[in-house]
Amino acid sequence: MDYVHLRRQAASLRKGLFDQGYLDEQFYQLEDLQDDASPNFVEEVVTLFFRDSARLMANIDQALDKCVKDFNKLDVYMQQLKGSCTSIGASRMKTECTAFRECCRDENIEGCMRSFQKIKREHSVLRQKLESYFQLLRQAGPVECATRPNK
Amino acid sequence: MASSQVVKVLIVDDDNFTRRIYKTMLFRFCFEITEVEDGKNAIQQFVDGNEYDLVLMDKHMPNMDGVEATRTLRGMGIPVKIVAITDDASSKDTFMDAGANKFLLKPLTFSMLTDILKSFNFLN
Repeated sequence: MDYVHLRRQAASLRKGLFDQGYLDEQFYQLEDLQDDASPNFVEEVVTLFFRDSARLMANIDQALDKCVKDFNKLDVYMQQLKGSCTSIGASRMKTECTAFRECCRDENIEGCMRSFQKIKREHSVLRQKLESYFQLLRQAGPVECATRPNK
Repeated sequence: MASSQVVKVLIVDDDNFTRRIYKTMLFRFCFEITEVEDGKNAIQQFVDGNEYDLVLMDKHMPNMDGVEATRTLRGMGIPVKIVAITDDASSKDTFMDAGANKFLLKPLTFSMLTDILKSFNFLN
């Protein structure tokens, strides 16, 4: 197996995530926390993030389905989701979370629905890309820390 | 400081993922870490007689939020260092009035944490 090629693919995918705005500086913080004591830390927290965010998004879906919209509750859920996005560096998702909260403040339900659809799309795309990235890393085997992409 | 030499930290945040990140940061200092999901459970830790040197307190949590938990702890006469860590910038004054020692905006970075620990003399 061509491990060099796999590592290059992983590095390219990772660079793309930053270049296309899916991830921001905060993701570097997570990578910096990974060491011999926590060798799979980044993948673990990413897995936790997608599990927890899926649960939150299911709650938001339910809240949006109700006939009487509780904008306060929607805002609370979205604040939680935004907080998680901030902690992992999920930049695009975070931007959409902010947009959703603005719609909550305006009690604009159509805006909330549109924004939430975007959040779901961004969530799905980010999940797929990060899953691919970690799969490549696993196939490539233990590597030195990847260097940060040039800014 | 709490009775043993090891720095004891209580993480109060309803987000599982955030607690995991904080724990990993704090493990680097070999601190003793406890985590709870809301302010009510944070209070209970102290009611049960546990001692901590530092509390990392989120704001928005179910059952009891971080401001109320901070206010309650101070009302109980608990002198523990409380660092509010939230993405709600508007809550700074409220937190400080409730008795927090420091206020930080999320996301918490390792260097922010190190600076805080140094400021409290928790690092040798």
